[in-house]
Amino acid sequence: MQALRTAATGMAAQQLNVQVISNNIANMNTVGFKRQRAEFQDLLYQTLERAGSQSSDQGTVVPTGLQIGAGVKAGSIYRITEQGVMTQTGNQLDVAIQGRGYLQVLMPSGEISYTRAGNLSLNDQGQLVTSDGYQIQPAIVIPPDAVDVSISRSGQVQVKQAGQNQPSVIGNLELATFINEGGLEAIGDNLFLESGASGAPTLSVPGVDGTGVLLQGYTEASNVEAVGEITALIVAQRAYEMNSKVITSADQMLSTANQVKS
Amino acid sequence: MDNALYVGLSRQMTLRRHLDIVANNIANADTAGFKTEQPLIRTEPKAPARSADGPNPIKFVLDSGLARDFSQGALRTTNAAFDLAIDGPGFFRIQTPGGQRFTRDGHFRLDETGRIVTQSGQPVLDPGGAEVIIDPRNGPVEIARDGSISQGIEQVGRVDVVTFDSLSVLEKVGDNQFRNTSNAQPQPAPGSLVRQGMLEASNVNPILQVTDLIEVTRAYESLNRMMENTQDLSRRAVERLGRVE
Repeated sequence: MQALRTAATGMAAQQLNVQVISNNIANMNTVGFKRQRAEFQDLLYQTLERAGSQSSDQGTVVPTGLQIGAGVKAGSIYRITEQGVMTQTGNQLDVAIQGRGYLQVLMPSGEISYTRAGNLSLNDQGQLVTSDGYQIQPAIVIPPDAVDVSISRSGQVQVKQAGQNQPSVIGNLELATFINEGGLEAIGDNLFLESGASGAPTLSVPGVDGTGVLLQGYTEASNVEAVGEITALIVAQRAYEMNSKVITSADQMLSTANQVKS
Repeated sequence: MDNALYVGLSRQMTLRRHLDIVANNIANADTAGFKTEQPLIRTEPKAPARSADGPNPIKFVLDSGLARDFSQGALRTTNAAFDLAIDGPGFFRIQTPGGQRFTRDGHFRLDETGRIVTQSGQPVLDPGGAEVIIDPRNGPVEIARDGSISQGIEQVGRVDVVTFDSLSVLEKVGDNQFRNTSNAQPQPAPGSLVRQGMLEASNVNPILQVTDLIEVTRAYESLNRMMENTQDLSRRAVERLGRVE
């Protein structure tokens, strides 16, 4: 019975939907997190009677065909890269990206990954690192005697060292942009890798060529909206229930058929 | 055999198909741009199994086609720059290896070369039939109500919205796409508005579908009862007639 399998695809799709929604809710307070959404597509159709096929020798045609669909599948789970709200932290090593772009992170494996989580810190050598201790690229080393660090909107890092009146520039942060940032591969820890779908990164100075600017002392909150997610959760749950109702009905019909006395 | 059994069976077969269609509607209750379907049923005067009964023609049940409800689905805000919904009749034009397809699922994105593509990676076409290519470095993308795409003050492309004189020429092919099965040419849909940052939800009405579900199950059961009664009748007739000496 096709209806049983069709309803099963519906239940599987809604289960996936709930997984995506629960991940969004779990990451509501994750810095730089972008909410995701599952989008669905209908499966193949079995055509029992083709619209437009001849219905007589007089050239009349069937006006409406008869097609039976096989259910639903997950089309894509995509990231909505809408800007998150800026949260003031007062920490001078926190940078939020306002607009497009990702900071580059050197992974222990030597690969470059990308992140929007700008809650940075220093390691024991004074290097600017992510909260996991991975180095930010291009590498920036804050001298131990620095009393004040300032990061400009265009990514210039200046420090004021003890005994000096003028701040000195010690490096520049760059932002990487992608043609299709939704195609980046998430690897957890707020990090992304370049993929075939995202295209190659373009490095530029923040604020140039349509890239975002950096805001020191802020972090970007996640763009998850609690109300939206809860509503989506309710819809998913109800849709799941309806599909299970189809399975019950199909089962009931089969059992009716089985009760026919011969 | 009695004709009543065959007539009942013909209805039960259409009911099974009806259930398949309702199941597909419910499974796609959350699919963007999905359009509800409903089976159409006709009576089929065919030669009865035994015609000695009298002049009454016997009417069987046969499914005669599928009605597709093309009414507008609810618009849902997603705030994604390349999510487009059509407010009004019409379809986006898509190029696939098998030819042009039409869809109301406006969940698009840019691919790695900057083309606007569907979820499955097939390019969206402009009114000239060309692919739409965007360079996101030129600034935020604004898509206007008429489908024109601009970055800043410069227009950089346009997505095409077309419709057909008769929507029954369209056939579903899965992946939220429709195929044109006739020689009818797509027409521009001037009255329709493209809304950016929104998606059209499916127009499946869950209450109607669940009601249909109940109706189908109950109709199937009552036909079973009817067929059992018919069999009972003939069984009793055989018993009684056997006793007559």
